[in-house]
Amino acid sequence: MSSLRDELRLLRHGRDWRGRARVPRSVQRWEHPDHGDDFPTGWARCAPAGMLRSALQRGVLKPVTWSQTRPVVYGREYLDSVRGPAIFVANHSSHLDTPLILGSLPPRITEKLAVGAAADYFFDSRVRAAVTTLLFNAFPVERRGSRRSRSLAGELVDEGWSLLLYPEGSRTVDGWLTAFKLGAAQLCAMKGVPAVPIALRGTFAAMPRGRRWPRPGRPRVTVRFGRPLHIGPEEGVPEFRTRLARAVAALWAEDELGWYGSLRAAADGALALPTSPRGVLPTTAAGQPADGRDIAPWRRIWESTRPPADDGPRRVWTD
Amino acid sequence: MGRPGFVLDVDERTPPLLVHEGEGFRLERLPLGSRVIYPPDSLPAIVDLDSAIHHALLHPHGMDPLPQLLHRGMRLTVVFDDLSLPLPPMRTPDVRQRVIEQVLELAADAGVDDVELIVANSLHRRMTPAELKRAVGERVFRAFAPEHLRNHDAEDTGNLVHLGTTAHGEDVEINRRAAESDLVVYVNITLTAMSGGSKSVAVGLASYASLRHHHNVHTLRHSRSFNDPPNSAMHHSYERMADLIGGHVPVFTIETTLNNEPFPSSLRFLTRREWEWNLTDQAAYLAVKRSNDLTTTKLRRRIWQSTQAPYGVTGVHAGAPTEVHPLTLAAVHRQQLTEVEGQADVAIFGLPYICPYNVNSIMNPILVMSLGLGYFFNLYRGQPIVRQGGVAIYYHPMPHEFHPVHHPSYIDFYELLAETTDPVILETKYEKQFATDPWYIHLYRTSYAYHGVHPFYMWYWGAHAMQHLADVIFVGGNRSATARLGFRTASSLADALELARDTVGADPRISYLHAPPLVLADVR
Repeated sequence: MSSLRDELRLLRHGRDWRGRARVPRSVQRWEHPDHGDDFPTGWARCAPAGMLRSALQRGVLKPVTWSQTRPVVYGREYLDSVRGPAIFVANHSSHLDTPLILGSLPPRITEKLAVGAAADYFFDSRVRAAVTTLLFNAFPVERRGSRRSRSLAGELVDEGWSLLLYPEGSRTVDGWLTAFKLGAAQLCAMKGVPAVPIALRGTFAAMPRGRRWPRPGRPRVTVRFGRPLHIGPEEGVPEFRTRLARAVAALWAEDELGWYGSLRAAADGALALPTSPRGVLPTTAAGQPADGRDIAPWRRIWESTRPPADDGPRRVWTD
Repeated sequence: MGRPGFVLDVDERTPPLLVHEGEGFRLERLPLGSRVIYPPDSLPAIVDLDSAIHHALLHPHGMDPLPQLLHRGMRLTVVFDDLSLPLPPMRTPDVRQRVIEQVLELAADAGVDDVELIVANSLHRRMTPAELKRAVGERVFRAFAPEHLRNHDAEDTGNLVHLGTTAHGEDVEINRRAAESDLVVYVNITLTAMSGGSKSVAVGLASYASLRHHHNVHTLRHSRSFNDPPNSAMHHSYERMADLIGGHVPVFTIETTLNNEPFPSSLRFLTRREWEWNLTDQAAYLAVKRSNDLTTTKLRRRIWQSTQAPYGVTGVHAGAPTEVHPLTLAAVHRQQLTEVEGQADVAIFGLPYICPYNVNSIMNPILVMSLGLGYFFNLYRGQPIVRQGGVAIYYHPMPHEFHPVHHPSYIDFYELLAETTDPVILETKYEKQFATDPWYIHLYRTSYAYHGVHPFYMWYWGAHAMQHLADVIFVGGNRSATARLGFRTASSLADALELARDTVGADPRISYLHAPPLVLADVR
């Protein structure tokens, strides 16, 4: 007979302090998206909560994030043209993504920004839901298509809130870009608001799934904002979704190809676009796109965690 | 709407999983990449069961409504499944009681006086008066027992009738009262896909002379599986016999199906998926496990045997057996079927404390074998969960214990296993001797003993698995008992996999059948 301690250890294995286990990946598709339906978030959008949130974001969240990573932000100038609500659309591979984006955006935008957060993860317990809602002005997003969450996003836009959404639906498991869902593009089409593409690089290497704190050594991360995109009068939602994905992929590829090279590659269709759940890399270190179909998992992670190119002084004269 | 059954791939997120091991259970960490076959969520039960039964009796399939079949002066025989169904015994009122009461109310309205109730216990032990009362309810028991509520006696030659032989030369000998009735009403509980249909009367009311045609090694090795009637030679034999019986006496069958709620709410964690356990479930697990481990064997057995399942009824279908049974099977599949892609090299099964033959009794080593290599191995459709030449790992302590009243012939059969475990040799050399032994027959008829031949049938039950598997390992099994049965023991899963390594290599594909609640793997 095993000892009580052994029994407890076995029972606690893989569970958090509340005794909750994560849902095994292979089971997720069988789960009912019924979590977080009832958690109210309206209180977090009142003025006192907003003031407290600004103080927390600027006084705690940004200093801590910036002290643990070395963020480099590009394209902030594109945000000047954003007036009124917009949908910020980013790739997602780490819990660092939201603090980095919030810290990179100007206060006039963050004060009126709500963040879509996975209902089954962030709203599965009331404590976690309350903290997430207060700190990020989060609202629950059902990852498997719920009428309620979509309507909540629409209501928020109607009330003048900008939204930060991750159209991949979840943090990627290997840092590669996966297919975009239609929700963000549909919201832009329905509400006539622009979408601002954002690409984050280095966050997977800094704090991938499973880590609770960035790895030591202040890893370099980049946040690139793109030019706001408007859906065309004749453009369908799927086409706009593709254009958004292409914009994020182009921003993502700037590290290897440079700004113009990336624009050219996007225009030529030379970037791999995220169209499947298996994921792609718009470009590799060699400047070639990588489609994830037949690539072993270790190679995908190897490529995602490749140290960024040295951002020190660049030689401008050739020998 | 409940979630369907599914196959879990064990990853680093997967918490330790629950495994039954006789009158106990444990949490086990399976190797990463193992597959776990879960049953569908329990289906909602019929809320107004009495109305559903009434509707089924008045709107049967392939027969006239029951009231039209009943008339004054007729001989009516109501036959019902014995205590081997369901498992564990369900909370009272038992669904058999609810059906039988309605059948008898209609019979009373029609002025039927000659009514007999017979338990379809075949070669199983007789049900005690207390067990009978529990199954049929106080009202029926008081009105009919003991003269008109009886166990079937397969050795009462005067009350058996030989109806003829099938085209395959199979003798059909069944209970005389049933065969000479104007109508037989059969009340069934179909817990697994093997039960019900043609099996009900052809097996439940038969004698050894009839049963030996399908309860033999050859037939069982060609029943793949016996939970998949279209591919089961045993069921083909049942069907031939049922056709012959149907030519002599009309059978109105009422088949019921149950949901997947075998344990009471205090043991809810046994049926919940482990990653969904809340603190209450974890506390209950710890409390039940510790107290179960610390209690005495006798008390532990009494507690487990007193468990009553809060089963809900998911379907009631009545009418001609051939028309009703497909509907029943569909309901069973809806509750139990889970699709599985491909076979495994190693299959893991956690065997619970109960099987059809140890209700209010002891699960002896032969019954453990029958439960593991018979029932659990055959919980598949298509192809076995484990490949030909693979390894099966079972969890059960397999104590060397026998119930001297219920299983006397098992004690002697166990001694035979020292000589050989080959089912064919046992069948040809010893079956007839045990089947016709006067002392065993006396105990079967007058005491509460299983028939002398019954341990042979249990051994045949595993004949297909024995032929199919290269190795059988019992985790935590009693060494001498396991060795007597021809299997191996291991003290842990890691050791078992190490033993299996010689057969299936160092990196086998592993599937764990997470049952109970029951799941039928549809292996593609």
